[in-house]
Amino acid sequence: MSITLEKSANQTKKEAAMSTSSLINPSMESMMSETKPKPIIEIDNVDFYYGASKALHGISLNIEPKKVTAFIGPSGCGKSTLLRCINRMNDLVDVARVGAGQFRISGVDIYHPSVDVIELRKRVGMVFQKSNPFPKSIYENIVYGLRIQGVSDKKVLDEVVEKSLRGAALWEEVKDRLHDSALGLSGGQMQRICIARAIAVEPEIILMDEPCSALDPIATAKVEELIHELKNKFTIVIVTHNMQQAGRCSDQTAFFYLGKLIEMDNTEKIFTNPKQQQTEDYITGRFG
Amino acid sequence: MSIEEPISKNAPRVKMPIADALRSIQRPKFMGITFDDAMHYFFRGNATVSILVLFLIILFLFKEGGEFFGQNTQNLEIYRKAGLEYVDIVRSRVDDHRSLERFLGDIRIQEFKNQNENAEALAAFDASVERFSAAIDGYQGFVSEYADIAKELKEKYKVGLDLEVAKKNFQKEGKFEESSKIEIPVVDFEAETKVYRDSLTQFKALNETYQAEVQSIVDSFPPMPTAELQPRLDKFRDLVKIQRDNVAKLEGDLLLWDWKKPVGWSESFTSFVFGRNWLTASFWQDWYGIVPLFVGSLMIAVTAILIAVPFAIGAAIYVNQVASAREQNIIKPYIEFVSAVPSVVWGFFGIAVVGQLIRTFSEQGVVSWVPFFPISERLNIATASCLLAIMAIPTIFSLAEDAIQNVPKAYTESSLALGATKFQTIWIIMIPSALSGIVSAIILGLGRVIGETMVVLLCSGGRIKIPDFSSGLGALFQPVHTMTGIIAQEMGEVVNGSIHYRALFMVGIVLFFISLALNYAAQQVVKRYKISIG
Repeated sequence: MSITLEKSANQTKKEAAMSTSSLINPSMESMMSETKPKPIIEIDNVDFYYGASKALHGISLNIEPKKVTAFIGPSGCGKSTLLRCINRMNDLVDVARVGAGQFRISGVDIYHPSVDVIELRKRVGMVFQKSNPFPKSIYENIVYGLRIQGVSDKKVLDEVVEKSLRGAALWEEVKDRLHDSALGLSGGQMQRICIARAIAVEPEIILMDEPCSALDPIATAKVEELIHELKNKFTIVIVTHNMQQAGRCSDQTAFFYLGKLIEMDNTEKIFTNPKQQQTEDYITGRFG
Repeated sequence: MSIEEPISKNAPRVKMPIADALRSIQRPKFMGITFDDAMHYFFRGNATVSILVLFLIILFLFKEGGEFFGQNTQNLEIYRKAGLEYVDIVRSRVDDHRSLERFLGDIRIQEFKNQNENAEALAAFDASVERFSAAIDGYQGFVSEYADIAKELKEKYKVGLDLEVAKKNFQKEGKFEESSKIEIPVVDFEAETKVYRDSLTQFKALNETYQAEVQSIVDSFPPMPTAELQPRLDKFRDLVKIQRDNVAKLEGDLLLWDWKKPVGWSESFTSFVFGRNWLTASFWQDWYGIVPLFVGSLMIAVTAILIAVPFAIGAAIYVNQVASAREQNIIKPYIEFVSAVPSVVWGFFGIAVVGQLIRTFSEQGVVSWVPFFPISERLNIATASCLLAIMAIPTIFSLAEDAIQNVPKAYTESSLALGATKFQTIWIIMIPSALSGIVSAIILGLGRVIGETMVVLLCSGGRIKIPDFSSGLGALFQPVHTMTGIIAQEMGEVVNGSIHYRALFMVGIVLFFISLALNYAAQQVVKRYKISIG
């Protein structure tokens, strides 16, 4: 009930935003784009292959810091593949390779041989589709990232646990059972544990691969709220199948289709006034 | 189209109306049962038969083994009544004295080396040793004298028992005439064992001489030519003191001995479960104590597992986590192929290669610092363990690899995504998550190894004796016999229904329970710690 209300509230907000943006004249718009901050992630004309089949075709896009960027598109369009390229999780797939182009984070080509993939993954956290806490206690789950970096000071760890769980809006719910198994939590709580685990190592960027697809609406709402909060500290890239979700919680949206980037723009723009016919068709549910 | 219209065979594609189909279609039946029912009964029958057969086998095992205790009670009864026990009480002290002699012998070898193999320097020492050795002669004579008496009495009693059995058999067959002809000689134990009680006076005299002689030897023992060996001689003095006191107590022990004291089931049971001797077809007394066999089996199995586990688990982790697909395709079938080699071939290989290899290695100068090298026996615990380890590796490897495979890929992925190295991921996430499976793999491997027969029979050396643990790890290079080995070796030769035959069945039952316990433990580990919490 409350969800539908929230949704409609969101929609009205968006409509309002649309009306204001249409009022702004073109010169003002160009002025605003000039003041845009330097992008943190630059994806430059990337081709990506699984074995012989080409999964991404010449993708180029920039992701701005401290913003939420959503990747949308039908299944198999390559959005998850692109996301997993950003922290090089695709390295784990034997046949996967970047054929051409560059991924740059703060100007550094992350596929350059001199780049340490371990360090990269410390700085680019990831939250997966299926919540996957380790079969350990809540506490141990959160501190895992620090432990592997060699931090063993109990005080520091305790602090980080509280901070991360507060950051993931979970502290109040689990503070009395930090040493119970994380597998005993509900689906939504487990997903937020995973988010807390990711933010415990204080990455710059958090990648989220359909983080809410296995959650019920209430848990989804909580995670979305959390994403909104996290935006103040982290750059977030989120892959989602849920168009409303992209609309609700992202600043920028990129639409992919068949391994190509069709369109990327401010979320309001994509959802209200897309340039491409394909984008409009997808958003309005005519295909996909 | 009317409902009654018959369906044409030429047009099978025409669909019957649903109401019709529901009413009229019948599965073909044979004697009132459908094919599905028949299959159901067939498989149920199979399951029932296998359970029944298994049950009968276990029943047989217990029936044959269970009678052991009754027979062993009788066995021990003869031992007591005929006075063998009496003689053994004294004999044990004589044996203690002999082992002290060996202790002196060891000191002598050391000293002999220290004196550059000059025997003259040891003359005084040798004289004392000789005197010490002679001190027990009186007892030795006592033992041999009464041992003959006891043996005779035992034979007499046994003849009576055998006749009794024969008589019973005749009666069973209804041949009462023959049975009444058999006269069972009655052994009057009270009178027969009087000789033992009378021996006490002789014993007293012996004791006095012994005490005095030992005391004087110890007091007059010359100091060691080399001062370093003096502590060992002092140790010998202490040991002799204990021995002397023990011998002094003998009289009391002998007084307590009574042929009338009944032999209970508990005695029969403990002599099997805690018995330190497995001695069959002996002229003196048969003992069926499982301890030496159990210790042999256990030592071989545990050593084998200790050798196998690092290889098997390491290989499992490597194949599952690190190896490329091509390596996997080579390593996995290769390791699993090992289990296709018949165990007798391994045994053969063990005798011909491994045993010799271990001995040759122990003779090398590089390892001469190891106190128990070079080893004397080619076939020993270590040889059998090495081979069993090879045989256990495929079992442990396969099960552990499955366990690692079952760890959700998501764990690995999220660990790597947090910036963990591959090694950290394996160590902190993989292994703890798969631990229950790995532990159960090890337990099942242990079960496999304990039950293995051929290799241990061929390679363990076949000496029925508890290894001497005084040399620490050197015990691993001593020959032993095992529970499985003894059954395989002796079952073919025993008289059906004899106590020896029953004893082997009891060993089988013990093995059965060990396997059962190990399997149960493995199941419980998997069940209870399916996901371990760290």
